[in-house]
Amino acid sequence: MKWDQLELDPRIRAAVRRAELRRVGDVLCVSALDLQRSTGLSHSDVQRLLATAAGACRRHPLVPAVLCGGQRELRLTVGCPVLDGLLRGGLPVGGVTELSGESGAGKTQLALQLCLCVQYPTQHGGLDAGAVYICTEDPFPVRRLQQLIREQSCLRSDVPPSLISSLQFSDHVYIEHTADLDSLQVCLSRRVPLLLARGLVRLVVVDSVAALFRSEFQADDWLERNKRLLTFSSILHHLSQEFTTTVLCINQVTDVFSRSDSSGPLSSNMSPALGLAWSNQVMVRLMMRRLQRTVVRGDQSSALRRLEVVFAPHLARDGRDAAVWREGVGGVCSSDTET
Amino acid sequence: MYDSWRHVVKKRKKKKKSRPSALFTSDLLHLHPPQLSQEAGLSQQEALEVLQAVRSGGGGASVSLTALELLQKEAETRSIVTFSSRLDAALSGGVPVGKTTEICGTPGTGKTQLCLQLAVDVQVPQCFGGVGGQVVFIDTEGSFLRQRVTDVGGAAVRHCSLLVEDEEQRVAMTTFTVEDILSNIFLVHCFDHVELLAELHLLPDFLSDHPRVRLLVIDSVAFPFRRFDDLSQRTRLLYGLAQQLSAIATRHTVAVVITNQMTTRVRGSQSQLVPALGDSWGHASNIRLLLQWSGSQRLATVVKSPSHADATVQYQISSDGFRDTDQSGAG
Repeated sequence: MKWDQLELDPRIRAAVRRAELRRVGDVLCVSALDLQRSTGLSHSDVQRLLATAAGACRRHPLVPAVLCGGQRELRLTVGCPVLDGLLRGGLPVGGVTELSGESGAGKTQLALQLCLCVQYPTQHGGLDAGAVYICTEDPFPVRRLQQLIREQSCLRSDVPPSLISSLQFSDHVYIEHTADLDSLQVCLSRRVPLLLARGLVRLVVVDSVAALFRSEFQADDWLERNKRLLTFSSILHHLSQEFTTTVLCINQVTDVFSRSDSSGPLSSNMSPALGLAWSNQVMVRLMMRRLQRTVVRGDQSSALRRLEVVFAPHLARDGRDAAVWREGVGGVCSSDTET
Repeated sequence: MYDSWRHVVKKRKKKKKSRPSALFTSDLLHLHPPQLSQEAGLSQQEALEVLQAVRSGGGGASVSLTALELLQKEAETRSIVTFSSRLDAALSGGVPVGKTTEICGTPGTGKTQLCLQLAVDVQVPQCFGGVGGQVVFIDTEGSFLRQRVTDVGGAAVRHCSLLVEDEEQRVAMTTFTVEDILSNIFLVHCFDHVELLAELHLLPDFLSDHPRVRLLVIDSVAFPFRRFDDLSQRTRLLYGLAQQLSAIATRHTVAVVITNQMTTRVRGSQSQLVPALGDSWGHASNIRLLLQWSGSQRLATVVKSPSHADATVQYQISSDGFRDTDQSGAG
């Protein structure tokens, strides 16, 4: 925000230039007395300056919640009615959703499924745009994505087959590989905002968050790590708010040895990696666990999983049993048999 | 307030007043006699007379009250109930209007839930024992979801409709619906600290235009300030913010509720969870509530309060919102 864009008394404008206040926001970060001292303006002039600056810096005025745009109430379906029931419609837009779990739990499977779900129109639970998938550890599982695309009509029986065949799924999944923190930063600050601004994507998946932060920092560097983590998460949060996108971060887990009382009733002895600094940045936390039992549906059998909500502003702490099938991740329904 | 000071002082003194930027009496209020005499070219005696005339002319905004008047005023303003009777008892009535209350806790303990509950509870009509006010909700994290507010609001409406006994309450229920609840919440999303500061700067004017507002929620105040490299600037900004909030609370009789995150403080080999934003932020609020888990129970502790003893109560968060636990202990 430049000073030229504001309507100011020329005398005030000259005083601001003298005080070398470059950005309009800087005026608000200084106390009124300091402003008076540095600009030499009178008390009422300073108040007028602050009021103009504040009016320019706010994006939206206060509106009654009943009138607030329906954009923020959109949900991205997961592709399965049972899991959508757990999530009350699907993943929210405008906040960071985290999915953590041990390896082999099915997190990448669910993320791949979301990359396809997002491409459906809004009446079928999608967001009518593509997805960008950022891989930080393993290479992108292209063949599994192709298999999921082939089986879409089996998974999404609620969508007319003509619509499914008309969508070019693989054209709208943008894949990025970032091997270290710096390239991840570059990707998130340059390439991803470009895709978002053009409306080409409305889902950003980072698989996984923990990999880079755990590998690049030693145990004593946790201050530096937290700083980088906060920078990274604020970029993600900003992208999700600015472009009303769903951001999904996949996280690893760590074992919990001592039950510190701050973590809530744990249903397993694992907790998401990256600690409290990361937890504070997350809006919705989901956990996927792999159970000992197996479940059979038709000619397929799969290890049983459980998708749980750890915390979310609009969801109760609950879970659903799920399994990974050829067509994707689906909740277990009554017709499936457990062994 | 902005009387042109031509009406206040004599012409002789006016001619000598050469400082072009002082056009209103409010400018003069901030000067001392030596300053005014130096800048306007008046003698000390004349400067003193001018300032006395300005001050007695009602240019000032401060009104002094006796302690008894303050006590009576406090007794009249109702507190905002939380719908958890144990927590209300610990706070002797609920969240007080005219004071700042801070809610701290790790993620998932229910800070946003309590804020949403209060945003609905402040709107309960006065004939039901509520405050009957409106809310300003400043959301910095994006966690204000209409789905949840509809749940909590719907539960409050059902609760009140079961209590209807007389005609006045029946009439009040016609304007207490979920739709009305949503239209009495003034919402804004602030993405960073500059936007938050801008919003708070413009808030006093908004509150003067909307005198029915009785609650201001900032969820959360920590989120935009965690990423600050210059800690001394952050402390200064937070100090200014705390003063603004306390001024808003008293001048506009509004309950200010802010949520804070927790951070780990490492002392030697021990680590401890403490509220974020530093030690000096601890002075910003009148009352501090700490929400935490203890095994499978949710506990709310009144950690700091000038008028209540430290107390810990158990609560639960159901689909209806913030409530007491059942006596059986099923949290």
